[in-house]
Formats: sequence, C-alpha cells, structure tokens
Amino acid sequence: MKNENLFEALAARTRSESAPAVDVASRVIARLSAEQNRIERMAEKPLLWLAAASSAFAASAVVIAIMVYNASTGPLYEISQAIAWVAQ
Amino acid sequence: MLSYPSHMVLSIHPGRIISLRAEQLLVELIYSLMDSKIVAEDRQQTNASLAAELEDIRLSRQGDSDAYTRLIKQHQSHVSRILWRFSRDRLVHEELVQDVFVEAYMSLHSYRQKAPFAHWLSRIATRVGYRYWKQMARRHETESFSLAEWDQLPDKSPDEIDPGQAADILHRLLAQLNPRDRLVLTLRYLEGCDVAETARRTGWTKSMVKVQTLRARKRLQKLFAQAGKEQRR
Repeated sequence: MKNENLFEALAARTRSESAPAVDVASRVIARLSAEQNRIERMAEKPLLWLAAASSAFAASAVVIAIMVYNASTGPLYEISQAIAWVAQ
Repeated sequence: MLSYPSHMVLSIHPGRIISLRAEQLLVELIYSLMDSKIVAEDRQQTNASLAAELEDIRLSRQGDSDAYTRLIKQHQSHVSRILWRFSRDRLVHEELVQDVFVEAYMSLHSYRQKAPFAHWLSRIATRVGYRYWKQMARRHETESFSLAEWDQLPDKSPDEIDPGQAADILHRLLAQLNPRDRLVLTLRYLEGCDVAETARRTGWTKSMVKVQTLRARKRLQKLFAQAGKEQRR
C-alpha cells in the first residue's frame, strides 16, 4: 500500500478513537480565583512604589537641607560676613 | 397493509373500506406530521439549550463561577477530543484542557456570538495545542518514532489496527515535522476538517491552508522517502 494511502487510511481510522474523559471544572475555577487574587495584589503595587519614591525623595531633601545648613555656618561664611561688614 | 403508529387512533366510518393508495397517503401524512412535531420539539429543545448557554455566558462575564462551571462541563469533552490530537500524555492533555478554559474566560468579552460557542472554543483549543507544539520544538523535545515501525504497517490492513494505536503511530510520525506542517496535516486528515474549517480554527486564510497542506504533504513524502532509503541500506 502506498505510504500516502496508508497515511490517509490510518487517519480515517483515528477518527473513531475516543479521547480520555476529563473533569477540569473545579481546577479551572481554582486557577481563575488564584489569578484574580494575583491581579488584585498587583493593583496595589503602583501605590507602594509611589509611597517608596516619595519617602526616598523626602529623605534626600532632608539630607541636602542639613548639608546646606552646615555649609552656611562654616568658617568661610564667617569670613565672608566679616568682609561684607568691612565693605559696608 | 401498512401499520399505524400504536398511540394514534384514527376515526374512520366503521366498516368503510378505503383504497390501499388512500391508506398509504394517510399513513404518510401521519408520519410527516409526527416528524414535523419531533423536529419542532427538537428545534425547541435546541433553542432552549442555546438560550441557556447564552445566559451562562452572560453570567460568567459578570463573574458567576457556577455559570462558568456549567459551560465547562458542557464543552470539556469536545475540547478534550481536540487536544488529544496535540498531546497523548494524560497529564499534559488535562493541563492543556484547563488552559483552554482559562484563556476562554479571560477573553469571554470578545465572544460576539457570530458562531456557536463550541466553534469559538475549538479555535482557542487549536491555538493552545499549537503553542504547546511550538514550545516543544523550541526545547527540541520530539517524540520518538522509528521509521522502521512505519514500514512494518503495510503488512496489516488499516481496519485491523486499533484506532488508538493508529492515532498513536500517526501522532508520533507527524511529530517529526515542524509544528506548522504538523498542525495542518492533523486538522485536515486526523480531524477530517475541510479547508474552511481548518482556516476557521487556525485563523489562516483558505489560500494559506491550501498552500500549507501542499507543502506539508511534500515534507511528509520526503519523510517516507527517507524511510525507504534507510530500509534499503
């Protein structure tokens, strides 16, 4: 029997095969519930990132403010104030 | 003399003899009335089940898990049959069936009711199965198949071969082809889909289905030719 004919004959034979019975309803619903929980948790993430970014920015602003304050009361500042008084 | 349906009672003037031809026409009329009643009842039942299915789809879109469970139970055997062509490993097969219904739920909003729900699911099932084959191909995982096994087959008549055995042989033979060739030959020959049905399931145009079928058949012939060469060595 030619290969192509044999292939077609076997293919026709396979159509009468029965697939195994499955019952996936409960597992599908469980997966969808888990997926729904995951999506809800991810919705909170942008707010968390915003809070973290705001805190980092605030902390940086405090550090810079302290540095500027220290710089403004350093020896160079006193000399500059003295020269300004003399110039006046 | 033709017999009347047992639950039908005909009132004819007692003692009146009617011609055989008249009797035949009367019986045909009764049977056609019964058939139309059966057809009407069948149509009513079909319409009722269709209405129930559409209602379950509507409720599922609103998040009703009981409604979606009913849809799954109604269609899982159909989806299972399609995916059995894509994997004959029971665990993988069941996983793929689950994947189809998960994806179907996620895209339920896109179901426009232009085609029956079962047809829409069969398209998703084909897509899930095809994706599985492509993943296998990327991982270079192919099912083993000896072309010598194919050469032994002509000794048996195909009718003597168990359908499951025939399916297993063809499944492993087609696994030697690339996923696209495998898909079109599986749909056209193992599923018995015509060009239009194959196009609907794959999302290809009809022209593309015809071209892909031709190419896939040529590659299959090369595989057979290779088997012949190996045998002659």
